[in-house]
Amino acid sequence: MNNQKVWFVTGASKGLGLSLVKQLLAKGYNVAATSRNVADLESAVGKSESFLPLAVNLTDEKSVNNAISQTISLFGKIDVVVNNAGYGMVGALEELSDTEARANFDVNVFGSLNVIRAVMPHLRGQQSGHIFNISSIGGFTGSYPGFGIYCATKFAVQGFTESLAAEAKSLGIKATIVSPGYFRTNFLAPDALSTPKNEIAAYKTVREVQDAHQNQIGGNQPGDPEKGVAAIITVAEADEAPMHLFLGQDAYDIAYQKMNDVKQDLETWKELTVNTGY
Amino acid sequence: MENIIKTWFITGASKGLGLSLVKQLLAAGQNVAATSRHLAELVMAVGSTADNFLPIEVDLANEDSVGCAMHQTKKAFGSIDVVINNAGYGIGGSIEELTDQETRDSFDVNVFGTLNVIRMVMPYMRYQQSGHIINISSIAGFAPGVGWSVYAATKFAVEGLSTVLAEDVREFGVKVTVVAPGAFRTSFLTPDSLTIAKNRIEDYKVVGASLDRYLGYHGQQAGDPEKAATAIINVAYDENPPLHLLLGADAYDRAMAQLDKLEKEFRFNEELSKSMAYSA
Repeated sequence: MNNQKVWFVTGASKGLGLSLVKQLLAKGYNVAATSRNVADLESAVGKSESFLPLAVNLTDEKSVNNAISQTISLFGKIDVVVNNAGYGMVGALEELSDTEARANFDVNVFGSLNVIRAVMPHLRGQQSGHIFNISSIGGFTGSYPGFGIYCATKFAVQGFTESLAAEAKSLGIKATIVSPGYFRTNFLAPDALSTPKNEIAAYKTVREVQDAHQNQIGGNQPGDPEKGVAAIITVAEADEAPMHLFLGQDAYDIAYQKMNDVKQDLETWKELTVNTGY
Repeated sequence: MENIIKTWFITGASKGLGLSLVKQLLAAGQNVAATSRHLAELVMAVGSTADNFLPIEVDLANEDSVGCAMHQTKKAFGSIDVVINNAGYGIGGSIEELTDQETRDSFDVNVFGTLNVIRMVMPYMRYQQSGHIINISSIAGFAPGVGWSVYAATKFAVEGLSTVLAEDVREFGVKVTVVAPGAFRTSFLTPDSLTIAKNRIEDYKVVGASLDRYLGYHGQQAGDPEKAATAIINVAYDENPPLHLLLGADAYDRAMAQLDKLEKEFRFNEELSKSMAYSA
């Protein structure tokens, strides 16, 4: 039965990760889930024989390798990996320090790469597996003023996931980029969304966007996380998996807009583009 | 080229597209500050002792080093009008084959170096209420090739940060263009420019085959770097420069193929994608 599949989910103590873990357990899957703090995870999810809570620092390769090994010793294999851990960061590129920018990349990019590097030997060994990388609609279109670093991290996720799908296909392994629009999680809450330590008053547009996200959009997002999570499980069970999965009417519409914008730039400047050969 | 004299700040200028840009701009009498990790290499490659050329040794991953270079440029020429974030290198291998260190080294130059330059130049451009930031990405930043996972990640990141930057700095009169070249006949694919994963894994046959194919293109690339440099300079003089500029017929074709592929992917899950709202 499919329900004996083993899932490995990062960033599972809240948000989409937590909803995913709960739905998976309810459906009878075996689930290993990570968080920086295992107590948070245990209290959020509860105890179950098919649930393995793991305290993991995703930027530490040893910690990640250890979590993968523990999962395999307990459940015998890993079928589906969901790189869900990540957080939002708002601020102009000038406002956010090198340290702040790198901290966002550490979790959103290098953490996921650490998980992929650690799990691939097992997936290659069994010639099967499916890796879901949770990106964002902000990883497909940069039309989110004030979210430059966050979008850069999520664009990076798009780039390496497309590559992963191509390089792992012949090994029987699938990769899917999940790009949610606005879902009603704690993503925009004060303790979740990172803001610049040194704000520069001149960036009026950025401040307006920051204010709108913190005070208007947060709590009023159109997307239902339970539906988002159910869609991921549906796709994991489908025979044919898409490389791109956009979640939410907003994500879908904005993605189409971006494709049209790019097309327009391409056509307007085609003459210059194609006349650069010898 | 127009006769208006601008001050240009170009990173990674000792070879390739960066070097072509510097030479063309100097020949046109423009003020050019150019950076490289090795000053002597840069000075020798450019071969100019003219007053309008300022070669600077810079470690792009070091913010202080970048800040110092901006200060020198402003002092020498009085303004910084166009910044071209050109420094970067290719890195080949699957995600699994590339170590955390190899991956981070590539992000240091291709992403964090560019961010350092933007962070350091923006105070000058905000003060001037003008400027143009041109980030050199790659067609791999929109349509990745097989075996270039981390390179694609860095260049996708450049695409993303450039798009947002364009919106964030519009209120200061600062423009942004992200350039995605296809294959140009530079030293990009030579061993001293390119990094290939040290730990190769036999299983990744498609990666190995793809990398071999790419390396075989060296010296055969269809694109002329001199024409690419001219195109970039022309865009910097345009009243309404594009946010996205592709260079090369190959880049155009890859981008169009990618757009077609994306449209199919959209349609595949359209109904599922659109059914995420809370039930009434």
